[in-house]
Amino acid sequence: MGLRPTRSDEDGLGSRNVGTDQQARTVRLSRFERLPWRRIILVVLGASIVATVGIGAFRTLTLPEGQRYSASAWGDFIVLGIAQGSIYALIALGYTLVYGILRMINFAHGEVFMFGAFGSFFFANAYEESGFLERQPYVALAIILGVAIATSVVVAVLLERIAYRPLRGAPRLVPLITAIGASLFLQNTARGFFGSQTRGYAKPNFLEGRWELLGVAFPKIRVIVFIVAFVSVVLLTLFIARTTTGKSMRAVAEDSEIASLMGINVDRVIVLTFAIGGILAGIAAVLFAMTFEAVNFFMGFQPGIAAFTAAVLGGIGSIAGAALGGLMLGLLESLGPSLILTGYQVPSPFQLKPGFTFLVLVLVLVFRPGGILGTGEAEKV
Amino acid sequence: MGPVPLRSALRAGVVGGAILTYLSLVGLIERFADLNLVGEQVTLGRLFLVLPPFAVGYAVVRPRIVAGERRLASPRAGALAGALSGAVTMVVFDAVIALAEWVDVGRIRQVFVTATPGVIEFVTFERGLATGLGILIGLGLVSGAIGGLARTANRAVAAALSVGAVTVIVMGLLQRIVLIALVQLGIESDFLYSPITRSLTWGGSAGLFVLAGGANVLWHRSGPETRERFRGAMAEKSAARTGILLVVLALLVILPLLVGSVISQVLGSVMIFVLLGLGLNIVVGYAGLLDLGYVAFFAFGAYMTALLTGATLNTTTGSAAPAFSVDLNFYIAIWVVVLLAAGMGLLIGAPVLRLRGDYLAIVTLGLGEIVRVLAESRWLQPVVGGPQGMRGVTDAEIAGYSFRNPPQHFYYLALAFVLLALFVSWRLSASRVGRAWNAMREDEQVADAMGVSTTKYKLLAFAMGGAVGSLGGALFAVQIGSLTPASFQILVSITALAVVILGGLGSLPGVVAGALVLIGLPGLLREFEEFRLLIYGAALVAIMVLRPQGLLPNVRRMRELHDEEEAQDEWVKRFADEGAAVAAVPGNPPGVEYGDPK
Repeated sequence: MGLRPTRSDEDGLGSRNVGTDQQARTVRLSRFERLPWRRIILVVLGASIVATVGIGAFRTLTLPEGQRYSASAWGDFIVLGIAQGSIYALIALGYTLVYGILRMINFAHGEVFMFGAFGSFFFANAYEESGFLERQPYVALAIILGVAIATSVVVAVLLERIAYRPLRGAPRLVPLITAIGASLFLQNTARGFFGSQTRGYAKPNFLEGRWELLGVAFPKIRVIVFIVAFVSVVLLTLFIARTTTGKSMRAVAEDSEIASLMGINVDRVIVLTFAIGGILAGIAAVLFAMTFEAVNFFMGFQPGIAAFTAAVLGGIGSIAGAALGGLMLGLLESLGPSLILTGYQVPSPFQLKPGFTFLVLVLVLVFRPGGILGTGEAEKV
Repeated sequence: MGPVPLRSALRAGVVGGAILTYLSLVGLIERFADLNLVGEQVTLGRLFLVLPPFAVGYAVVRPRIVAGERRLASPRAGALAGALSGAVTMVVFDAVIALAEWVDVGRIRQVFVTATPGVIEFVTFERGLATGLGILIGLGLVSGAIGGLARTANRAVAAALSVGAVTVIVMGLLQRIVLIALVQLGIESDFLYSPITRSLTWGGSAGLFVLAGGANVLWHRSGPETRERFRGAMAEKSAARTGILLVVLALLVILPLLVGSVISQVLGSVMIFVLLGLGLNIVVGYAGLLDLGYVAFFAFGAYMTALLTGATLNTTTGSAAPAFSVDLNFYIAIWVVVLLAAGMGLLIGAPVLRLRGDYLAIVTLGLGEIVRVLAESRWLQPVVGGPQGMRGVTDAEIAGYSFRNPPQHFYYLALAFVLLALFVSWRLSASRVGRAWNAMREDEQVADAMGVSTTKYKLLAFAMGGAVGSLGGALFAVQIGSLTPASFQILVSITALAVVILGGLGSLPGVVAGALVLIGLPGLLREFEEFRLLIYGAALVAIMVLRPQGLLPNVRRMRELHDEEEAQDEWVKRFADEGAAVAAVPGNPPGVEYGDPK
């Protein structure tokens, strides 16, 4: 047998002794240079996607007069997209924080959000029945928000304590499968506890109606959603950047072992991270419920997945990335189907919106796995 | 109280009380209040009432490692600790009930829909609050003590008793199936199952208890030798192996004749999920690629089969021909479907190849959802029927022998494909390809460095998994004859994953057992249907936390684990003997092994 690997060795389990990482890279590189199929496919795929989107958008915008969307319709799409995106951003922060510290996808985070919505629902409803919601709308809203946050925090912390803590240090797929199980469990717990029907969520009257600004009518609730989300993200950023606790969170994200040697209580930091994720999910839950005026046990799934997509889109692990990714995804979801698919005469393009979210996720991971603000780390994602 | 500290007994009790409250609020206790197991006294609801105190009693006396030695409490201390935590469980639960009565159940009901006066009546045994709460505490004491004894008492005795008890409970649960089988066989069944309460009779259950317990004792007396002899025979004589295989096959073939059409229908569904599990097992269990969008292949197989065998679209006015349709014979179409599905596996696999495990999972989840969204959309309605779906899928008949009706026939068709898939999986796992997958799963970089072309084998895994999954879809289409997108929810993916994980990743008997438990049991016990997903979720978490290798683990992995454990034990013993205080306890609790380094 010669030194060079025989043909059958190369594609099988043959013994090609490549000792160091350096050598392995060279071998991979040379193979890559021989057959750059991956790159070819990616370029072709990318070009065809750009062409599809471009042609679709062009055809939509140049539709004959009566069929075209009016300027105010586009304005509505954008406002809707930003409001929806702010909610995604808040949930996405929960994914990103946990991922930054534990390197795990907390698949059940959507359910944390759902429990927050349900917890506050009972208060919102009771206050509406007693008239308190109209008499003291600000006090009532504060209590509703507080309850949502408290419920979400309790669920998030229990989740960490019961399901995730025993699996610290386990291979990556183990906590992920656990998280899927936990998600299913929480969803059906809510179904057992609160019933399976969708229920109307009350909101105070002052949130109805629109504000006129520069000739565009902004629905009040959407504006408030954006402001609340924006303030929350700013506060969170300040918290992480300025406080000692924030510093220890960053330290644990960097290297939990060394952080613990430096006297940081890693367990506490992790619980805190889940709690902060819960707070943001609780806020998002109230905003979401007031926007759509409904809660049900399944409501966590779609926003959860969308928010995860947003986190990946912005670069998972980065706070600014999650916020940006959320806004972008919101806009993509509200603009994309009508802008691109209408041009191709696809009937009811909005039906394909969920598919759109996933398509964006797949494409981001294929073309730019690090995300928009990703660190571009060499690690294979 | 010896090695069981008072505080942990109290804490266990509080956890038990919380569990019990959860069970009542989620509706499990009330739902099964009337499902008689033995006579009219032992119902499944009541069993759920005493299980938490039993469980905390069992958990609280777990062996502790002190100075490198496993210390187990004495039976007396164990019973005491168990009884205490069981009683605390019930005291906590009593407090919850009293609180609920005090604030008025009707008001709680506005939040928790299951909180009804009926539940309170049931958990207090319809004897009024004071008496009921007292009975509960008594039951807690007793079942907690039994739980404590179950772990601390003589091993052989505890094993025999628990096998007996589990047998009685299982036979009680399977009342309908066993009853039907007995009737089909023409065996008098009144002595075992009462015709009035439909549950086990007291005499019958006592008999079962003694029988099962006795069998357990006998097995422990002569078990090891018999097992060795059996294993020797299996290893040496291929005739013995063939014989056993034939017996199993014969059993599988006559099974539907024994159990009637309702259960055959359930068995058919089990077979479909065995196929899905086998396919997913190739992707997840062998190659270590977590695919959460497996429903995509299932849906693809079902819809393609429908399109290739000339099914029609459902419309509001009747039926219409799809925009694309071929009228092939099922037995030709299915191979086309399988080939196309393998191609689709390649297509899905190619862009996501470079993704790390957890990202791969989410992306595949997304792809699975895209398939469903497309099937539902008006855009593809002319091809696959949109929300109304398709109908008139072939029933795969051969010379007038329909494979859809009766369900027994479908079972045979499914069995044939399952056996084929089992054979392929079995041979694959031992082949060069299987070993390459193994290497890739254990450590991708090392595998790559050793010359395994990870790209090729990953794609191969996706293609093979997709092909097997589409077989499941094709059979599903044949079984129900009409398709709607509602059958292809993400839950199919998660159920298939649960099937693979419950049995043990990479284990073929595990897949079969997982499908039997997760699909068969809820199918047979219709009462469980409502709680199916709740139980799946809980099972996934519990398996991952307590026993990540699954119920029937892959032999090789189990052996590795076993050796490791023994080595650890020896290591600990040696240090203990030398009198050295071993401060460090081995990191993983015994029985936990993470074979997959990803």
